[in-house]
Amino acid sequence: MADDEIPSDSSTLVIIVDTNPNQRYITEDPKILTGCLDAVIAFANSHLMQKSRNELAVIGCHFHKSEYLYPSPGKPLDVRQIDGQYELFTLVEKTVKMRLVNLIKSQPQEEKPGESLLAGALAMGLCFISKVRREASPALKISSRILIVTGSSDTAAQYINYMNVFFTAQKQQVLIDVCSLDKHLSLLQQGCDITGGLYLKVPTLEGLLQYLLWVFLPEGSERKQLVLPGRGRVDYRAACFCHRELLTIGYVCSVCLSVFCKFSPICTTCHTVFKIGGPLPIKPKKKKMKV
Amino acid sequence: MADDEQDLKEYRWETGYEKTWEAIKEDEDGLVEGLVAEFAQKAARKALTPRRGPVRLGMMRHLLVAIDCSEAMSSQDLKPTRFLCTLKLLEKFIEEFFDQNPLSQLGLITMKNKRAEKITELSGNIRKHIKVVQGLLNLALTGEPSLQNTLEMAHRVLKPLPGHASRELLVLFASLTTCDPGDVNTTIQNLKNEGIRCSVIGLAAEVRICKKLCQDTGGDYGVVLDDVHYRSLLLEHTSPPPRARALDAGLVKMGFPHTAPPSTQSDTEPPITICMCHIDEGEGVGGEGHLCPQCRSKYCSLPAQCRTCGLTLASAPHLARSYHHLFPVDPFEELKNDGQSQFCFACVRSFTDVDKQIYRCNRCVEYYCWECESMISSTLHVCPGCASRPHLYQRLPDTS
Ligand SMILES: [Zn+2]
Ligand SMILES: [Zn+2]
Ligand SMILES: [Zn+2]
Ligand SMILES: [Zn+2]
Ligand SMILES: [Zn+2]
Ligand SMILES: [Zn+2]
Repeated sequence: MADDEIPSDSSTLVIIVDTNPNQRYITEDPKILTGCLDAVIAFANSHLMQKSRNELAVIGCHFHKSEYLYPSPGKPLDVRQIDGQYELFTLVEKTVKMRLVNLIKSQPQEEKPGESLLAGALAMGLCFISKVRREASPALKISSRILIVTGSSDTAAQYINYMNVFFTAQKQQVLIDVCSLDKHLSLLQQGCDITGGLYLKVPTLEGLLQYLLWVFLPEGSERKQLVLPGRGRVDYRAACFCHRELLTIGYVCSVCLSVFCKFSPICTTCHTVFKIGGPLPIKPKKKKMKV
Repeated sequence: MADDEQDLKEYRWETGYEKTWEAIKEDEDGLVEGLVAEFAQKAARKALTPRRGPVRLGMMRHLLVAIDCSEAMSSQDLKPTRFLCTLKLLEKFIEEFFDQNPLSQLGLITMKNKRAEKITELSGNIRKHIKVVQGLLNLALTGEPSLQNTLEMAHRVLKPLPGHASRELLVLFASLTTCDPGDVNTTIQNLKNEGIRCSVIGLAAEVRICKKLCQDTGGDYGVVLDDVHYRSLLLEHTSPPPRARALDAGLVKMGFPHTAPPSTQSDTEPPITICMCHIDEGEGVGGEGHLCPQCRSKYCSLPAQCRTCGLTLASAPHLARSYHHLFPVDPFEELKNDGQSQFCFACVRSFTDVDKQIYRCNRCVEYYCWECESMISSTLHVCPGCASRPHLYQRLPDTS
């Protein structure tokens, strides 16, 4: 990525807040969510303070759907200056809190909360970033990134959606940053690695705002000069479609590239029937080697 | 994309002008702005639609690209010359090709002085191909090309490949003549029998034998109008072709090298090992690398085919990059904007009078603007609404 060397004129930040009530830190103490949300809002406002042309979106990811918490669609809320606070900051805080309450109220009562569908929220974030780029003047250099703040664990159920989102982000030079509040997230870590973003699992929730400000506030071009957490080792083994287990050797359907852990005569994804006689023989390449 | 409509009219220059200006009319208020916007939207959408093809694709592609290096390439109707323009576009093509076909292989052939010469072997090594293309810059353009010799070579190279791989030849042809030693029709028939798909991009004018070659083998034929058109014709070949004939499908054994975390970090230096892909060049000595899970040979980059045991080595994202072909998003429904929704679900842009049409996903029933619709169907391949609903997000076959 050549152009993240040059500092940008404006940067777009999309924050995805996982508000799923089944995250461990919320089930242990529901009040912590408010604390985390305050940290995220303070972080969002610090981003807006960096440059006057910076853009912001906050997306709430609940178990039944995801929704924009900021900006609110249509007319913005009417806010007056409160004790000398910059109006925009008040607007962000008020809008996020009000819309979050509405999002939580809209959750179906009879349903048990399932997995947080972060891939959908990421897709929304990418659409928002494209819109900002379309509407800006072509001369403006815009850097864009998406930050996910989550205490959920990740499973292979959203695998394909995640991969499509990661590769789109990579193509459009959008960094994906992940701040994990609880467990190690190997799929999302792959997303950080593919897009060049940062992955951090915070050791304690008390210092959340500090971690956010130190690690995730600098934009791509500024990060090279800072000492930030390293990439670490990313696990790139493929998961089989039949059991979603990680493999070092697997069988891949030549038609659709589905991965299976053992040989089977028919592909369960595309229903292709394979020739009997086991997997295709592989002839090693004839190549003289001098060792 | 072979469309029959065009074939009826025989030649491009017989299709006549498109009188686009006649369609511009004022609306009731005497304004053209809305119509112009609608026009732009339609044009942008039209450019995208042919990309939506059938779902079954040959994804492990083997493509040979033959480059005309004869005198005809020195013509300056493309700037700076046909040849330099080709080389510049080819670099871009190689990168895009591997971006969209990560487990595929490419090989390059030059055509000059009645001969066809292999300049790179079929391989997935992007850097090598690009280096060779850059090295062609000062090549002397001489003689006449031989289409038949090129086809014979492609036949020789592609024939031994396993049936589950798609086998293709793309010829970039500037000459209006070809110097063939025998009957080219027999060669075309042989290629057809092997299921080798041949496409030609003509840089000058339509040549009958090229058209026949493409028609018989199921390839595409295009003639370049200018450099922009050339670019789009060439890049069209980066997206996988629909399966030309029933290829033998197979299950391919594949290795996913897993680098275990270093046991004790600074105590012991990692053992010095040699990377197999750089063994010829004598470089690539070092600690980091991907080990073949079957024989422990080391490779510095993936994907690769293990030179010792033949296993194809890849990482999960190499496969996943192609999954969007498998599970395309159902096309959204185009609706007249009657105020069904005030804003786009994906980008929260408010709909205005300029949005004559809006788009609805019929699974999640969310409304989208035309810009988001085209981004979702052409790049993202995920419906944001569906992907954030517990009952709709899964597109994998349910195996539980
Ligand atoms: Zn399995
Ligand atoms: Zn399959
Ligand atoms: Zn190497
Ligand atoms: Zn091996
Ligand atoms: Zn939109
Ligand atoms: Zn949908």
